[in-house]
Amino acid sequence: MTQSYDELQKRIETLLVDPANQDHPLADAVKELCRHLDEHMRRLERITMLSDSYQSMVLERETDLCNRFEHQLRRIGRIMRISDRYQGMLRDANLRLQEVSNLDPLTGVPNRRVLMTRLQEASQLAAEGDFSFVVGMLDIDHFKAINDHYGHQTGDRALVTVARSLCSDLRATDLCGRWGGEEFLLLLPNVSPADARTILERKLAAIRGLQIDTGHGKTLNLTMSAGLAEHDVDEAISSTINRADAALYLAKRQGRDQVAP
Amino acid sequence: MTDLNIPGGQATPDIVADSTIGLMTMRGDSYPENALDLFGPVISWVQDFLSSTDIPFRIELELLYLNTSSIRAMMDIFDILEDAHGAGRQVAVIWYYHDDNQRVGELAEEFREDYTFLFDIVSR
Repeated sequence: MTQSYDELQKRIETLLVDPANQDHPLADAVKELCRHLDEHMRRLERITMLSDSYQSMVLERETDLCNRFEHQLRRIGRIMRISDRYQGMLRDANLRLQEVSNLDPLTGVPNRRVLMTRLQEASQLAAEGDFSFVVGMLDIDHFKAINDHYGHQTGDRALVTVARSLCSDLRATDLCGRWGGEEFLLLLPNVSPADARTILERKLAAIRGLQIDTGHGKTLNLTMSAGLAEHDVDEAISSTINRADAALYLAKRQGRDQVAP
Repeated sequence: MTDLNIPGGQATPDIVADSTIGLMTMRGDSYPENALDLFGPVISWVQDFLSSTDIPFRIELELLYLNTSSIRAMMDIFDILEDAHGAGRQVAVIWYYHDDNQRVGELAEEFREDYTFLFDIVSR
């Protein structure tokens, strides 16, 4: 089409300069028409160019938006991944803290705080019915003498060894922890006082068989006394603990290395 | 230009920036309620510093815990560094962490992943 238009243009130009056509009545009108046509063609080209560059601008902007969108998506993904890891870190720190705050640092068994919480819970359960428990309070006999005679290191070793022995071989529902000093507490759910007594006697027998390293190539033996009290649904937990304590001192008074009552 | 000295709080890190030596340090935890309040001026400072000087710039970090908006703010800062690096500016990040907390080092690595400027992760 362009080619035929160019040819047409040439043909008209040739005709217009031909002296034979100089005085033709259409000559001026055709000249005028050609000028108009030229102008229209130039305008059409400019519009086409503008339109094309506008289109490529939009295309560029779209590509740019796409790239930015991809970038943001990647960023969000990374932020989430990093955030999740921080959260995991916090969760683990929390667990560690919980462990540290629940365990006696020397012996690694549950501390008094945990024992108290579990005793309260047990007492609550008992009040709701169909649940009972026995509290066993155990104390190392003549512990002060061990400390005085062999030193605190041996005393600590005795506590660790005793804790390990007392708190092993228990049912999953039982709880054993360090109540304080050389005193340990056993929480035994759903057992009769007679069965609890058997359990405590077995524990005392195990303690009797322990050999504590004194650090001088010698070992020492020790014994424990125990008191037990079955929780009464009508009493406060502190009262059960007091009765177990009283039973423990009865065992001490009756010559130690035994369970009372 | 003015230097930055934002003392840390319980939920915000210490942030100090010295324009004469081109060094910014951040130490501590960062979990502010509004991270923009804290990091807005920091981001502006970095932009101002990079556009108004041409000395090398270094950020030393000793950050432990970051909440999500703080992570985003740190990425904004790193993105600015990446752009400056692309334009030929000398920039670097050194992220310090303690041996006993390897996970902080792993997190710093996660931050580093997409950047091409010098990003060192150093245990001590």
